[in-house]
Amino acid sequence: MKQRILSLSNLKISIGNTTFKNPIWVASGTFGYGTEAPDLIDVNTLGAIVTKSITRQPREGNPPPRIVETPSGMINSIGLANIGVEKYIKEMLPVYKDFSTKIIMNIAGTDIDEYVEILELMEKISTNIAGYEINISCPNVKKGGMEFGVDSEMTAKLTEELRKRTDRLIIMKLSPNVSDIVSIGKAAENAGADAVSAINTVVGMSINAKTAKSNIFTTYGGLSGPAIKPVGLAAVNKLYNKLSIPIIGMGGIVSSTDVAEYILAGSTAVQVGTANFRNPGTGENIIDLISSYIKESNWKSSVEMIGKVQTYNK
Amino acid sequence: MLIERVNIISNEEVAHNIWQMSFEAPEIISEYKGPGQFINILVEDSWSHPLRRPMSIASAKNGKISIIYKIFGDVTDILSKKLPNDNIEILGPLGNTFTNWNVDCYPILVGGGVGIPPLLNLKSECENYNIDHSIVIGARNATEHFMTHEPENDIILTTDDGSFGELGTVMNPIDRIIKEKNSPYIFACGPEPMLVAIRDYALKNGIPAQLSVESYMGCGVGLCQGCIISKNNKSQKDNSYHEQYSLVCLDGPIYEAEDIKFEQS
Repeated sequence: MKQRILSLSNLKISIGNTTFKNPIWVASGTFGYGTEAPDLIDVNTLGAIVTKSITRQPREGNPPPRIVETPSGMINSIGLANIGVEKYIKEMLPVYKDFSTKIIMNIAGTDIDEYVEILELMEKISTNIAGYEINISCPNVKKGGMEFGVDSEMTAKLTEELRKRTDRLIIMKLSPNVSDIVSIGKAAENAGADAVSAINTVVGMSINAKTAKSNIFTTYGGLSGPAIKPVGLAAVNKLYNKLSIPIIGMGGIVSSTDVAEYILAGSTAVQVGTANFRNPGTGENIIDLISSYIKESNWKSSVEMIGKVQTYNK
Repeated sequence: MLIERVNIISNEEVAHNIWQMSFEAPEIISEYKGPGQFINILVEDSWSHPLRRPMSIASAKNGKISIIYKIFGDVTDILSKKLPNDNIEILGPLGNTFTNWNVDCYPILVGGGVGIPPLLNLKSECENYNIDHSIVIGARNATEHFMTHEPENDIILTTDDGSFGELGTVMNPIDRIIKEKNSPYIFACGPEPMLVAIRDYALKNGIPAQLSVESYMGCGVGLCQGCIISKNNKSQKDNSYHEQYSLVCLDGPIYEAEDIKFEQS
């Protein structure tokens, strides 16, 4: 594994009680458990790694085809394939001991009890993970938390139950497939979330006209990549205007320019997702570039830039 | 595994819609393990097509890699327009290799459609080690073939319409060779219907077979979990975490015939 020492003071951020060396994270479902990153990259340069969603029981995931490329994006329907929390604790947590990046564990469940049970198992043991990102918005699983993600009351109730049980970061991951993302973000904030992350994938469909078949086994999947960047920016900006907790922005980030846009829209940190599939080192490569961009643009730090987009209606 | 920006040496149409490209890739070759491995190609730097395209290595010699590809859509069309001295970005080498072809057996190499490259690569290795072998290549018609039909040299071409080589699928020559030779071992890559036929034949007749399978791939390095194939054995492979599915990019692309199930079978 490559080892690099990055000391870029203009990138340091805090969320809740936790500081991160930089705001460049990798998104859930695009970096495995953080333990299997290819040896061509140095994961320790990253601000944080968000794990793939972990459920109470192991899940095989959906049958193929699971992915398809679309214009400037891709659709996936993996179906939360994962090893389950018990095996995660046994096999993955020990590997994190050597990590100097922060680990955010992504949790998915079908009802409040499942989320709570997973979190309680984690809180019982000694681990250096920094916090939890709560997947209330996976579009690819029946009951995949989508009911939580589209309902403010359910989101509040879930956030509250988890908040009671941990001092670690709680980040609620919001879906764009709702009529009002702000009201759901506000519900998470009022119930004690440390941050919200936005956006999860956008429901999409892809058809092969030659064979007249759907390109995805589950018919609908989650669209990601540069195709959804404008959707992500709008969601982040709307949330920023109404919430006081930090927002972790994502959706189509492939470059330091994209990161700058997301920070200007209101993100405290960002997550690189689909771009990892083209080059797992995308996040690592962006860190130096965004630090230079901040200096050259005469900002003191990434924090100073947050939400500073100039709009025409102010 | 590494990422290398490579210079194209040549890029030519070798049969109808089938192209061969070679490029200098010394760094990737330094990690190359053998026939069956693949590379993941980024055809253009823009993000209109975000994903790389996996391509099997047709040869890896003297610092040069060659691939053979068919024009299927936008991305392979862009690839075919690349000129010598243009560059593309390659991730690799990826995946496992054919095994046991050099251990007390008579290798029968079978390729169809875009599944020919890894078999040409394996054929060249067999020649290097002076291992007696046959190669059977199937196509729909004469325009898709770029090799010559030389039964006397154990190179057998077939076409579905009889316009070149033997009429019919690859199964007739395979069956004939197996009956003639001791310890036959099939190594195959091609469209799924061909692999299904070979798998069924191999299992029914107790012939060992290794199949190189295709799968829609997102990343090629195990991160996206997209490129799965159903496993027949319940043993957990190192990289897949699961009992039912295997990740083609890390566990494959080559599997023993009895270890996998195809969707249509």
